[in-house]
Amino acid sequence: MASLITCPHCGRRPKEEFSIRGDAVPERPAPAASEEAWHAYVYLRDNPRGNIREYWHHVAGCRRWLVVERDNLTHAVFAVTDAREAAKGGTA
Amino acid sequence: MSISFTHRHILEDRMGGYEPSPNANHLTVVRRPVIFSTLAHAGHEAAVAEALSLVEDVVVRSVSPSDWLVVSQSASAATISASLATIPGLSFAEQSDGQVLMALSGPDVRTILAKCVAVDLHADMFAEGQSAPMMICRVAGNLARTGADAFEIIVPRSHAAYVFDELRDAGREFAMTRGFGD
Repeated sequence: MASLITCPHCGRRPKEEFSIRGDAVPERPAPAASEEAWHAYVYLRDNPRGNIREYWHHVAGCRRWLVVERDNLTHAVFAVTDAREAAKGGTA
Repeated sequence: MSISFTHRHILEDRMGGYEPSPNANHLTVVRRPVIFSTLAHAGHEAAVAEALSLVEDVVVRSVSPSDWLVVSQSASAATISASLATIPGLSFAEQSDGQVLMALSGPDVRTILAKCVAVDLHADMFAEGQSAPMMICRVAGNLARTGADAFEIIVPRSHAAYVFDELRDAGREFAMTRGFGD
């Protein structure tokens, strides 16, 4: 159990307890937005090396959605925020 | 509560073996606990948590900031249901048939649990009375510390046999005994 994620509600937990949804950076376009904007939102993703921001679901714990900022090269975790708090405070 | 589920416990067939009396390390399966799953509506979390702590004859296990398990070994489901219904901003559902409650106690219980749980169970990190949802033998369950060397586990009924077998194997080196407690 190499990767430990510090859940804001449950504390330090192994990554096996979580399920990763994916990139948390794309913002959902307005319903009436252009087809290009929706195509980009649904299908187009960067595949960066280094710092990434992702949605993680703490499936086996508090069952809350979290925003995890981590380095996908070194596995260092910089910040974990509840997704609701992150949504309230913009980029938390 | 349906008769067929309470009539025969899911772990009934696993209690065999020659164990005349409980050892120091013992696993008790509670035969008929009452377990409610509760959820506070947005904005009511603090008030609901406060109100839940005042309900009599129950213990409250924390799941998430707005989510608790209400467990009782003495009060009836109807009584608890009636008390929960008076709390504003709370939704609840009875889960007694769907969950299995096991209690572990003994001097080596932390070593036994360390084989199944990835959370630090030192008293400084996980104090008496504390509870948290976590993976227990790779099954999502709830673990609570009820004493210095006593823990309670709540796991879904359909995974209980597997968790029970894993705990039995983990406790074998300490001659952990097991049995029903009523």
